[in-house]
Amino acid sequence: MRFLPHTDADRSDMLAQMGMQSMQELFADIPENFHIEQGSLSLAKAKSEVDILRTFKAAANKNSDAQQNRCFLGAGTYHHAIPAAVDYIISRGEFLTAYTPYQPEISQGTLQALFEFQTIIARLLGMEVANASLYDAATAVAEAALMARRITRRKDVILAGNINPRYSKVCDNYLSYLDGDCHHVSDFEQLTSQLDKKISCVIIQNPDFYGRVQDLHTLREQCSQHGILLVVCFGDISAYGLIAPPGEYGADIAVGSGQSLGIPMGYGGPHLGLLSCKKKYLRQIPGRLCGMTQDNQGRRAFTLTLSTREQHIRREKATSNICTNQGLMCTAAASYMSLMGDAGLEQVAKRSAAALQRLTQGLPPHILADEGVHYNETVLHFPSQQERDDFLARAQQVNIFAGIPLERIKSTASKAALLVATTEMIEANDIDDYLQLLGGQ
Amino acid sequence: MSIPTDLKYTKDHEWVRLEGETAIFGISQHAQEALGDIVFVELPELETKLDAGEAIAVVESVKAVSDVYVPVTGEVIKINELLEETPELVNNDSYGQGWIAKLKVSADMDTSSLMDATAYQAFLDQ
Amino acid sequence: MFSGTTGIQHEEALIFEREHHNASSIQLPGVEAELSSELLAFQRQKSAHIPNLSEPETVRHFVRMSQWNHGIETGFYPLGSCTMKHNPRINEQIARLDGFAHIHPEQADESVQGTLQIMHQLSQDLGEISGFAHVSLQPAAGAHGELTGLMMIRACMDERKQTQRRVVLVPDSAHGTNPASAALCGMRTIEIPSASNGRIDLEILATYLNDEVAAFMITNPNTTGMFESDIQRICDMVHEAGALVYGDGANLNALVGMARPGDMGIDCLHINVHKTFATPHGGGGPGAGPIAVNDTLAAFLPVPRIIKTEDEHYHLQYEATQSIGSMLGSMGQVGVLLRASAYIAAFGRDKLHMIAQDAVLNANYVLSRLKDHYDVPFAGLCKHECLLTDAKQQEYGIKTLDIAKYLIDLGMHPMTVYFPLIVQGAMLIEPTETESKQTLDDFCDAMIDIARMAKEEPEPLHQAPQKPIRTRLDEVQAARKPVLVWPEEA
Repeated sequence: MRFLPHTDADRSDMLAQMGMQSMQELFADIPENFHIEQGSLSLAKAKSEVDILRTFKAAANKNSDAQQNRCFLGAGTYHHAIPAAVDYIISRGEFLTAYTPYQPEISQGTLQALFEFQTIIARLLGMEVANASLYDAATAVAEAALMARRITRRKDVILAGNINPRYSKVCDNYLSYLDGDCHHVSDFEQLTSQLDKKISCVIIQNPDFYGRVQDLHTLREQCSQHGILLVVCFGDISAYGLIAPPGEYGADIAVGSGQSLGIPMGYGGPHLGLLSCKKKYLRQIPGRLCGMTQDNQGRRAFTLTLSTREQHIRREKATSNICTNQGLMCTAAASYMSLMGDAGLEQVAKRSAAALQRLTQGLPPHILADEGVHYNETVLHFPSQQERDDFLARAQQVNIFAGIPLERIKSTASKAALLVATTEMIEANDIDDYLQLLGGQ
Repeated sequence: MSIPTDLKYTKDHEWVRLEGETAIFGISQHAQEALGDIVFVELPELETKLDAGEAIAVVESVKAVSDVYVPVTGEVIKINELLEETPELVNNDSYGQGWIAKLKVSADMDTSSLMDATAYQAFLDQ
Repeated sequence: MFSGTTGIQHEEALIFEREHHNASSIQLPGVEAELSSELLAFQRQKSAHIPNLSEPETVRHFVRMSQWNHGIETGFYPLGSCTMKHNPRINEQIARLDGFAHIHPEQADESVQGTLQIMHQLSQDLGEISGFAHVSLQPAAGAHGELTGLMMIRACMDERKQTQRRVVLVPDSAHGTNPASAALCGMRTIEIPSASNGRIDLEILATYLNDEVAAFMITNPNTTGMFESDIQRICDMVHEAGALVYGDGANLNALVGMARPGDMGIDCLHINVHKTFATPHGGGGPGAGPIAVNDTLAAFLPVPRIIKTEDEHYHLQYEATQSIGSMLGSMGQVGVLLRASAYIAAFGRDKLHMIAQDAVLNANYVLSRLKDHYDVPFAGLCKHECLLTDAKQQEYGIKTLDIAKYLIDLGMHPMTVYFPLIVQGAMLIEPTETESKQTLDDFCDAMIDIARMAKEEPEPLHQAPQKPIRTRLDEVQAARKPVLVWPEEA
């Protein structure tokens, strides 16, 4: 077998050195009735490397991907450009095949990359500190809620405005096993009356699930009046290349997805959950943290730190159960941002927003876009589900993924609504084709 | 190591200095040595009322964490804010500058479960 | 013999310490247009101050940093409980195929049939390998699988009107994630002391079982590397007491193709595909922790579920009455799961058992070569990993940490140290099946020599490591005065 270095002679030799005759003796401590007959499992037979590649290529070819299509899909996952160097860097065996950096002396590569990553994320979000990743945006929202509960020692959580239902469902789910309630308040007027001393945090998405950019200064003040933490979440971090990040209006915690920073959509994972906060909440952060220190010769060095928050030391009192995180995706994001810089990300954001602007400006009169100021995502309202679905089918024929039927994610939504997102991967002629199919200009 | 004779001790290795209606406590020399370099002390909040034996603070080293239990029933009236920036005081001067908090206690409380220096030394020798 | 780490290594500054380039060197596609004043009213006030490096600078920056790392492709990595085996390159190629890498999670089901088909097959294969009828691929890592499983167990107890069952029993040798996961789903952990042989003692277990217990979590082989031979009796006792058995699948590599946890009475098991099925650890992740369950828990599995219709068509199902709900924003870490799927395909039903056989052979071989030189806390066969301690070296003032750090100077990654917590000075060694006899012999020779040095010339052990780009770190300073981001210039 090509992944196993031993020859049969090696195996016999090793067994003999241990005074054993057969492999079976090594499993003598497993009761006989549990031994399974070799080759009896209902699996395919072993395949050669060539066969494996053929099989998987055939499956991949059954999929319709965003390299062959114009992708107007968003909802927390975006088809941004990924420089080839990013994938090269994370394919380096030294990054790819290392474990969590428990031995810092021989993990300085991963650790410095994590330190750069934490700095990049904190600066992008305008926050003071960031951790070394969580699984995805949805679990990051849940972890932020738990963190706010610990900090304030209050139990209730408000999910305000329009949060991606994929996030709020996970957050709801996590909180449902603990004391306290998770309130959903979509209306801002109503929100004000619900703020009181029972509430640990208000979680709000900005830009929201529909891409709308909101001014949260007032909400920030209202939360402060009641000792409530403001948690801002986000689906496309590229937004903050252009618009005000959560730190600029005083968010206590900011969480969301870093997938836009050089990570392919990959049918939903692995993506990159981000968590950043004010420094005073450091000890309540879930997940790994990389810190700067020095070695015993006085040279600057990096190490995982504040580990006493974590499960392997604090066990049932840990800030989270997370152990394995999205490590390699942090290196991807750090190398992406090193190639882009803040100036490059601003260009990404401007082009993503410009594409949406071009699209909404060209809509025919019978298709309405959501009101308000939008970044790179909005909802198109069709006269009927029939018209929407016909359009989606026509678009598919000319290789356009035209949007996500809103009810796919939000079951209560109108079936005539389409969630549409744009990135710098969308060209002017793609939008023209899109509009033409819609019956506009 | 010498154990101050003017203090009382618990089996969880806290020390307490009883002075009428106040009590100051910290962790013993033995406890700080067992933990190693202290990197963080989570101090209690003022006005917290606790019964003897309840967890009141947390001391952390790089790879270990330990609850500190309040040696006597009382209310927190002062905390050692110096420990926020210099937790190493617990290592360097555990019976002095490394104190954790000051409590308001009742003068006639039951202290029979506390050990004196001799008894604590004997406890450590076991 | 070992080359150690004498290669060319460069110091490399942080990107923030470089001269700040102001214009991006990246040329982007897309639409350029004047943006509306309404949007620009929300413009950020302060630059993020992230420098922009050219491609050659970026590549060199990260390649230099990569050379400070030890990975499984660099050298031996016997990190116990972590199953650091070779990560086949074909799996990387597969995960990067356009049809897999560049599909959107909310695409219409018809347009992602290839991925759904493979994911469906993978859940069946994982169920077959572990002995369970139902699998959800959603959990993003092992600990996430634990949480998912415990939520399902709690839901099951609620359905049985046993809402008082909120205790999770965990052996004191368990991974820290076990109690942490239990706490996260509102359950109370009670730790069960291990017997003097490192295993679960049936009589001790019996005293902890009552009508408040919802689950007993077991790792088998356990974290000392030994198989719990009483597993069937243990499961029976737990079931008789009205509770369920959760299996921590971190050590599945010892059993794969040889025996199945599902056959032993375990109700629910997470599978760390980044361990057993060779997906790369990436310096901390991503992983995936599919959860496998028997019929008792099937109704509670998370959503979405992959449904296969009679006409060989696949779709995601988000509605399921008794489901615990969603654990992640998507159906799972698909890119990781694809790699696992390719790994299983390479072994197939005819060769799968060779994984466990060679893994167990290698661990026992190491144990047999080292048992006269190091203290072995628990005698007998080990499974995929073996446990030693520093008890013999302690008398010369040499501790586990010194031994671990000296291995670094020999170009090898240390074993897991000071875990499990129940064993003083623990050294947990997991060679995995992808190491040659030559590598194992080199490692054993080195360990034997270290045992000699402890007696005869201990100083280099205290001083180690000397060869990597950094020597022992001041972790106290790191924790006392945490610096987690590079400060911005005023």
